[in-house]
Formats: sequence, structure tokens, C-alpha cells
Amino acid sequence: MSRKTPPTLAAAIVLATALLTPPAAAKNAASWSPSASEQLIKLPGDYLKKAVDNDFSRSRLAAALIDLDQNISLKQRTLGDLQAAIERADGELRTELQHQFLEEKRNYIDMMKEHQDLRAKRARTKVRLYERLLSKLNRSQRAVTPQQAELLTKQNSARERFEASAAKIDTRLLSSSMTAESKYAREYAKNLTAIESLVSAVKSHPMNQAPEIAGVPVSRGEYLRQLVAENQAEVAVVDQERAILSYMAKLVSLDALALSEGIDASNETELAEAEDPQAGVTGAVEFFVSR
Amino acid sequence: MNATMTSEQPRNASHVRQTLIGIGITVAIFAAAIGGAAAGTLENMERERAILLETILSGDMNAAERESRIQVAKTRLVDLERMVLRDKKLIGRNTPAVRAAFDNYDLTFLVHASTEKSRSIADHWLGEVGVSTTALMNARMGRR
Repeated sequence: MSRKTPPTLAAAIVLATALLTPPAAAKNAASWSPSASEQLIKLPGDYLKKAVDNDFSRSRLAAALIDLDQNISLKQRTLGDLQAAIERADGELRTELQHQFLEEKRNYIDMMKEHQDLRAKRARTKVRLYERLLSKLNRSQRAVTPQQAELLTKQNSARERFEASAAKIDTRLLSSSMTAESKYAREYAKNLTAIESLVSAVKSHPMNQAPEIAGVPVSRGEYLRQLVAENQAEVAVVDQERAILSYMAKLVSLDALALSEGIDASNETELAEAEDPQAGVTGAVEFFVSR
Repeated sequence: MNATMTSEQPRNASHVRQTLIGIGITVAIFAAAIGGAAAGTLENMERERAILLETILSGDMNAAERESRIQVAKTRLVDLERMVLRDKKLIGRNTPAVRAAFDNYDLTFLVHASTEKSRSIADHWLGEVGVSTTALMNARMGRR
């Protein structure tokens, strides 16, 4: 009864405890702090998302995620190799490989947990960023005072009146005036033609898409809300994946305990055989009865 | 050598892609910042309008001289008025000068408004400030 805890059981306990403790994280160094600048709000259509994704891809958080992705795929390969080796091995080597297999599974779970943490961090940062952009957009839209609104209405009507009468005024001025068309008018008309051809090229460019959800064009605010929702969904999915990972961890700890039980059982049989007096003595009887 | 190249190829492609997206975004930010003419279009127009009104009201010149000066000012002012009307920097700029300028199209954009109504600038301006030919003809000289 006063027997020492077998080493395999101790290892299993360490393994099970390790699965419940948070992984040692180099992830604290992996950071991404995008700023919700005014320029970002002004970006047309899909550029906003591209700019955010591009900023993320240059961050330390992205680098950490890529590294972890590579390590996870290597770990999966190791697990596959070990599983195949266990099927071929037997005896002590098989137990040793099973132990190693459990260790690798534990490492895999650690990595997956860290991966989930980084993914959640990315999604939460994006949610915060898009929410800040949304509130800035709402603030700028609300920022029009009644006086400013009145001014804008007057400016619009002045411009409309000018556009409606510009051609007529040009004709009258040119026919009545002794001077020719001014340099400004000539240059403006020339530039306007160039601008119009460029604008039509921009409009028909395949990459110049207005923000749209499921093919339906939407406002900037609606597009931002969609991006917030998408990233909140990512956070929710990561939460769900955490449950999967915790079940995997439980299975690994149960496997570790089962492995230790198996080794204990075989140890106990050996011990029982050694403790049986007949096994030793009766075996030696022959030495005594024969002369 | 081949193995190194194949493993580095996706990394290079991703780097090139990132750089291209970066360029695209920088140019888009630059394009978003473009707009608006040089500052001071309104001030320039107001100065020219004041000179034109001074010419109209001046008693120091004969009719022919006044007419030629008005023609020169008119040619200059028509461009300045268009610059103000097209200036994107003035959109929503809630300052007393901008508010006053857009309060009355007929008084601010004198050349456009008068040409639109087929009237001379002087007649148009005097009409807008409430001085008509009939009112002047009906006026009697007297002492207050």
C-alpha cells in the first residue's frame, strides 16, 4: 500500500494537469493595433476591407498565426506517423510510442488553443476597428448643423441653376463679347473631357465595385455593420471550436489515465507473481528432492 | 535548388500580392484626398465684383470708358464665378463669407445671373438692390 506512484501514472497526471492549464504563450508578443483613421473611412467600396486585411498581414499577429499554422500542419503529420508506428509496434516499444503519441496530442492541443486565441484576437480587433469606424461615420453624418444644412441646400441650388444655364450663358457671352473664350474656359473644357473619360474608365473597372452584400449595393454604414457581424461570427465560431478542443483534451487525459492503468495492471501481475511463495520455492523444490 | 525555389515561390507571390494591394490602397487614399480648387476663389471673385460695382457707380469716367471697363471685368468675372461654383472646398464650409455668398445667387454671381435674365449687369444689380429705372425716374430732388 505504501508503494510509490508508478512513473507512468505520474506522467499521466502531469499530462492531464497540463491540458487544463493555459498554454505558455509567446502570443502576448503577437499584436495588431490598427487605427481607425479618417482616411480609412473615405476609402471607396471594398478598399476598406482590403486595407484592413493588408494592415493585418503586415502585423506580428499575422506572422504568429502563419508560423503556428505551419507548426500545426507539421504536428498533424507527426501524429499521423506516430499512429502508424503504434499499429506496427508491440510490447514496450508500443507503450513508449503510445506515451509519445499522447505527448504529441497534448502539444497539438496546446498549439490549437493558441491558434484559437490568436484568431479570436484578430476577430475582436477587427470588430473593435469596424465599430470605431462606424461610430466615426455616424458622427460625421450627424455633424451637419441646421445652418450648415441650409448652406448646403443653397449651394446645391446655386450649382443646379448654374449648370442649367451655363450653355445659354456661354452662347450669349461669346456672341456679345468682343473677346474670345478665356484660357480658363478652354482649359477647363479640355480637362473636363479628360476627367469624364477617366471617370467612365474608373466606373467600368472590374476592381471598382461599390460595397455590396450578396450582390446588392449597400451604403458605407451598412457595409461596416456587415463586416462587424462577420467578425463577431468568427469570434462565436472560435468559442464553439474551444468546446471541441476541450473534449479533445479530456479524451487525451482519459487516454493517458487508461495507458497508466494498463501499465499498472501488468506491473501488479509481475509483482503478484514475485510475491507468490510457491512460485519461487516450489520451483526450487526439485533442487532439494533430487539427490 | 529546385525545392528551395518551389517553397519560396508562394511566399514571393504573397509578398508581391501584398505590395500590389498596398500600392492600390495608397493610390486610393491619394485619390480620395484629391478635390477642390486652390484656396481663395471666393475672395478673388468678391474682389473682382467689388471693382466691377465701383466701375458701374463711378462718376469719374464717361459712358464709353465705363462700358469697355465693364466688358473686361465681365470676362474675368465669368471665370471667377465658375471657379467659385465648382470649388469643392466651399461645399458645407459654414463661414459668414460663404453663407453670404450663397444667400443670394443674383447678387453674388452677377455676370451669370444678369446674362441669364438678358439684362445689363448694372440694371440687374440695381434691380436686385431695389433701385429700378422707374423708381429713379419718379424720384424728385429735395431737401431733408
